[in-house]
Amino acid sequence: MSLLEIAKAIDSTSLSTSIKTISWIVPLVQCFHILMVGVVFVSILMLSLRVLGRARTDEPLAMTWSRFAPFLWGGIVVLIITGVLLVISEPVRELMALSFRLKMLLLAIGIVSAAVFGRRVRAEVAVAGSEPLVSGGMRMASVATLVLWVAIIILGRTIAYDDSVWGSWSPAVLQRGGAL
Amino acid sequence: MRTPPSFIHAIEFSAFGEWMRSNVLAMPWVNAAHVLCVILVFGTILVVDLRLLGLLDRHRSVTRTADELLHLTWAAFAGAAISGALFFSANATTYWFNTAFRFKMLAIVLAGLNMAVFQFVTYRGVARWDRNEPPPRAAQLAAGLSILLWVTVLVLGRLIGFTKGFDVAVPDNIDFDFGAP
Repeated sequence: MSLLEIAKAIDSTSLSTSIKTISWIVPLVQCFHILMVGVVFVSILMLSLRVLGRARTDEPLAMTWSRFAPFLWGGIVVLIITGVLLVISEPVRELMALSFRLKMLLLAIGIVSAAVFGRRVRAEVAVAGSEPLVSGGMRMASVATLVLWVAIIILGRTIAYDDSVWGSWSPAVLQRGGAL
Repeated sequence: MRTPPSFIHAIEFSAFGEWMRSNVLAMPWVNAAHVLCVILVFGTILVVDLRLLGLLDRHRSVTRTADELLHLTWAAFAGAAISGALFFSANATTYWFNTAFRFKMLAIVLAGLNMAVFQFVTYRGVARWDRNEPPPRAAQLAAGLSILLWVTVLVLGRLIGFTKGFDVAVPDNIDFDFGAP
């Protein structure tokens, strides 16, 4: 079963039809989605700025983590729920967009790396009982993390412009035999 | 279609407007930049508002949390205003008559007024309550209003896309029914 067939199958489910029929659902879900992107991104930003020594240097890194981790994880849960609803409402548009596929890949990397980072911070504090040392590698990783989340946000928006942005790389365009 | 004031017409047919309409990549990039800046404005303001409500960072002084984010908020706001203006120029007439757009601008003005009142009245005496827990009632009120107004701005911004009467998001020449006869 190809991704296109899966998308079409989702499209014909009764849930998808109901979401599409009730006109205010998609705008409302999108509003929650975008607000949560703000919450998640600013949590990542605060953690990265702390690692880079550009903000919150008055508190231990472990404290910055424990302060923003609930917002980060809570926000990601809401993003996944609202995101799944949006995919169900327009499965072909989402699944056949290169921006969407890249976004999911980067999102998986972002979530795993945040979990690894949090685990490491807590483990170091538990073992040493003191502040985890901010290494050069951690600084580079935090810059990479910021770039990653900026890319996730940009890709989220460019799903709507997949053919203009990706041209013949867009799966939707490929499916049409390359015609733009 | 009603006729807008002449300056709206001038904006729509300015070089910026023409560039936005003629360049296929302009709209997606400006759109992505706008979303990114708006998210930063909202997120950084939210952190300060939660501190003023006494819901976050209670162990830190208010000025510390506010000062380290303020320059970021302003930079992001400038980016949102520039990308927003470019957006506007592409379809100025449509935006001018769009109700969601008008209310969004009103909400931004109200958010700005709320911020100005806070800055020049309540925040002037911050030295007296910088580390107080909870922060004074006036600061909490300003923070609550701020969250409410900025959420309104984001929601209205999203609604413009559904009410503006044209759809740049999904070009109508795309046939999603691939290969169907």
